Amino acid sequence: MLALRRNLPRACLRFPGVRGNADVAPSESVSSSLPPPPPPTAAPKLPPAPTKDEPAPEKSTPQARGRQRRRPWPSVRPSISLERPREWNRPLAPGVLPAYDLALEYIQEDSKNLKREVEELRGKIEAAESLPEDKQDMEALRKMRAKADILEIQSEINLPDVRWKARNGLADMNKLVYRRLIEQRWREEGALDLLMERIHQMKVVPDLLAELHPSIDLRINFPEPPPEDIYKRTRVKRKFEKVQPGVFLKPEQTWRQPFLYTTVFHLDTRLYTLLMVDLDAPDPANQTFQTYLHWMQPNIALNTFSPSPIPLTTTHTRWIPPHPQRGTPYHRYALVLLPQAHPTERISVPVPTDEERLGFDVRAFCERYGLDGSKGGGAHMWREVWDETVSKIYRDVLKTEEPRYGRPPKGDPYAQIKSTPKYL
Amino acid sequence: MSSSLLNLRDARLPLRVAQASVRYAGRVETNIGDPKLSLIRRILYPSNMRSKPSPTGTWRPNVGWRLQRAIPSVQAHETIERAWRLHERHLRKVRQAELERKYQCMWKAMETLRELDPALYAEANKQEDPRERSETVAKLKGLDRKVAESRVRGLFPRELRLPTDTPPRDGWNYDWKPLPQYD
Repeated sequence: MLALRRNLPRACLRFPGVRGNADVAPSESVSSSLPPPPPPTAAPKLPPAPTKDEPAPEKSTPQARGRQRRRPWPSVRPSISLERPREWNRPLAPGVLPAYDLALEYIQEDSKNLKREVEELRGKIEAAESLPEDKQDMEALRKMRAKADILEIQSEINLPDVRWKARNGLADMNKLVYRRLIEQRWREEGALDLLMERIHQMKVVPDLLAELHPSIDLRINFPEPPPEDIYKRTRVKRKFEKVQPGVFLKPEQTWRQPFLYTTVFHLDTRLYTLLMVDLDAPDPANQTFQTYLHWMQPNIALNTFSPSPIPLTTTHTRWIPPHPQRGTPYHRYALVLLPQAHPTERISVPVPTDEERLGFDVRAFCERYGLDGSKGGGAHMWREVWDETVSKIYRDVLKTEEPRYGRPPKGDPYAQIKSTPKYL
Repeated sequence: MSSSLLNLRDARLPLRVAQASVRYAGRVETNIGDPKLSLIRRILYPSNMRSKPSPTGTWRPNVGWRLQRAIPSVQAHETIERAWRLHERHLRKVRQAELERKYQCMWKAMETLRELDPALYAEANKQEDPRERSETVAKLKGLDRKVAESRVRGLFPRELRLPTDTPPRDGWNYDWKPLPQYD
């Protein structure tokens, strides 16, 4: 049982630059590399510019001090982003921790040496490139370029200000080291692991495609679920919230298409195809399930600096809201961004009719148009269950009769006996 | 549910079940009066000031400030970790390079030997089979056997002399005879 004190020990309070655990990277919601998705209409309310360093302690009267714990600095840091940048400061003043000062010196020196090495290597690469075509050794050149990239990353990745900026939304995606840090964070600190866990555990991978190896951090935003208070349901504007892969959403939330936020790690523009399918559309004729295509958009151009969310107001195949039928178990919905075979060649896909959406064969489609999930792209998924909203979707959007699934009724073996009188 | 049960559910009951309202400090024996009375007092009013961490570690209020003292800043800790690992990596690279260089020297020397004298090269590369040697060693007795067993074949000889800047104090041993080799 920990009683973690927020106050610093008195020795440290003497030093003005000393910060306690408040300089720990703030929680996930604040420190994403891109600014958190704004609500669609409301302008974000910016806090005052980061000129105020320490706000006056809120309760400084002796009576209040007894009631509340003293807090000389705010426990929630102001949100930092590229629009509201902050400078990196040393977490400890010089002399507080000699090991830290030595570490800084060592890292700076190593960085300088590596930068010098990188320059030399880049000079050599230029010299090799300027040779005539037949004398160029492509393999050696490729290795030199790869080595130069690695050295460049290594020269800056240990610098505390670079790491701090990457953690706090101030990454400059032009630089290799920042792209590497953010990709490392996505891959190694749990986000990709969670996505792949959900995808594999819910069997999206064998059902949708044989292999999915995402290389893009794809995040989806749907409006939040309706409030419990019925009075507020039509009176409060719903905010958009991010969707964790695999969670249950209400059909009401997925009425309109989502916002897709991406972090792409390649500078060159590549084309991707977006597909959203329902993996559990019922197929009563064969007593099994089939896929239903809800949304498709080929030829989406993405690179590190493409706008996020992806601008998709009108799409190739319009968004039909997910409608898990009554009586079926929960439906899994998978949204994938698949890289096209050639990164700059547009594919032309005929628009499928509403009848063709049911029983859409994803694997055949991918093979036909050269889409490969194992080469990268992005993926996401969620689940849904029947609701009265689905009836409205059938009535207003699909304009068909709502099916109701269930087991066929069992014959009553006592029907004969029931009709005959028991007692004479 | 009845209203009394509802009230019970809504009441925020404290987690501590038994809590004395009076606090008794541990006593320091300044005025030693009647030892019987002091014993009775000690038993009736034991110290119940719970401000130190419990000896079995079930309550540790001091962990927070100790951690803070040891790691005043997470960022600084990470920087130091990275610098240290970088330093270890450099050392490792240097040692690895040195080993590699020594290996290459050795390899070159053997290559030269192979070109000069293939017979000696074969002799130098001979693998030691301890089972073959054990028969000859078993027949030996006493000091000879000790010598044969202690000399590990293939290892550098015990008489190997490292080059020094100055000659040895005892001069050159002209009467040195090599110990018998048992092949």
